[in-house]
Amino acid sequence: MASPERSPQIPEENCEWCPKCGAALKTSEEIHKVAAPGTPVCETCGIPRIEPQVDHTNFGNAPPPVPGRGRNPLALLVVAIVAAGMLYVGFHMARRTADGPDAPAILGKSTPAPDFTLDKLSGGTLKLSDLRGKAVVLNFWATWCGPCRIETPWLVEMQKEYGGQGLQVVGVAMDDSGNDEIEKFAKDMGMNYPVLLGKESVGDEYGGVPALPESFFIGRDGKIVDRIVGLKGRAEIEDSIKKALDTQASASNLPAKPSSLQSQN
Amino acid sequence: MISPRHISGILALAVLLAGSALAQSGRAPSVTMAPVGLVTAQRASRTKVPLYFRVAPGFHINSNKPKSEYLIPTTLRMDVPTDIVLGEIDYPAGKDVTFPFSPGEQLNVYSGDFTINLAVHPLHSVNPGKYVMHGTLRYQACDNAQCFPPKTLPVSFEVKVIKEPPGPRHNPAQSPHIHN
Repeated sequence: MASPERSPQIPEENCEWCPKCGAALKTSEEIHKVAAPGTPVCETCGIPRIEPQVDHTNFGNAPPPVPGRGRNPLALLVVAIVAAGMLYVGFHMARRTADGPDAPAILGKSTPAPDFTLDKLSGGTLKLSDLRGKAVVLNFWATWCGPCRIETPWLVEMQKEYGGQGLQVVGVAMDDSGNDEIEKFAKDMGMNYPVLLGKESVGDEYGGVPALPESFFIGRDGKIVDRIVGLKGRAEIEDSIKKALDTQASASNLPAKPSSLQSQN
Repeated sequence: MISPRHISGILALAVLLAGSALAQSGRAPSVTMAPVGLVTAQRASRTKVPLYFRVAPGFHINSNKPKSEYLIPTTLRMDVPTDIVLGEIDYPAGKDVTFPFSPGEQLNVYSGDFTINLAVHPLHSVNPGKYVMHGTLRYQACDNAQCFPPKTLPVSFEVKVIKEPPGPRHNPAQSPHIHN
């Protein structure tokens, strides 16, 4: 007959092994103290085998274990459902904030547009807050962006059409290519509005600008009224421009000197 | 009774759902390269190495020869060890596609799976053994409405250089008078 082997199921360091049956316990005396009617008995030596959870009760003042596996399946189920829900909702919220046209979590409507000063392609600098009192389309683009080549002519048309009402389109080139290439692109597209040489730090202020084109529509009061990510229809851009034009400039927001920015690259 | 197996299933479903949401929200396009097995290359000869790439669904990248001067071509650059010559990189032809953002213009792009072939040519002077070839794939991806900044994907594979087989043996020329 094969001799009984020590049970590998009890990993506790304080456990000792019954010299007769190999069951795990603290002391051999506890075998008889703990064993209750119905406790499995070792077939080899007739000594009751102590269940693993019985051992755990011998440490400290822990409450009696729940019969079975010691884990409440209902509690685990609740935890699993809650975890699943949190993961799913969390990722969906992340998606909505990342690419929704409303994008309330990044730069919500009525949020003041972060101010910045950037170099203009044509020389000099432009500070966004100098445009207070105007409705601004802040358009992030790049020469390598195919959709930008569709959108840019629309912005050129909008600048012509609504410039007299106080619209100012501002292009921000998020481009690593040299100024020559940006200049060539601007010329090819007939850009009739200022082109700024973008910086990552400015992109970060506007939510990272992970993809192009991306436009922010800023009201006369310097607050964001709308945001469009990716190429959308011309009509959608025009609607957002109208929203920006419909805003009222507060007296404190007006710049000291009017900007003369038309047809400046 | 709810068993741990059921709970594991629920957790797995949660991860899948989360992954699905992440994939939907995953705005960053990805290009991946299939692992390349050990390439055995004989000294003093050219060995073709196919590199398999995959563009994530819903995205495309410009081919090596995009049709617009402003677009960034997909390019592979390899840094090869001394005495291993890199042959010409053979890019696949892209597909001419019209996108909503370029209705009047066809762009030449890669989407789905594509293969770039290159050749390695270990010189006679290379010691036999294993060499790691490193490089990068530069690409710029778009979907139907937006474009993402250029990215680079690390590329590497291992080449085992072996000796060339011995050439045909020629008996040394003998003087016709040697046996005289």
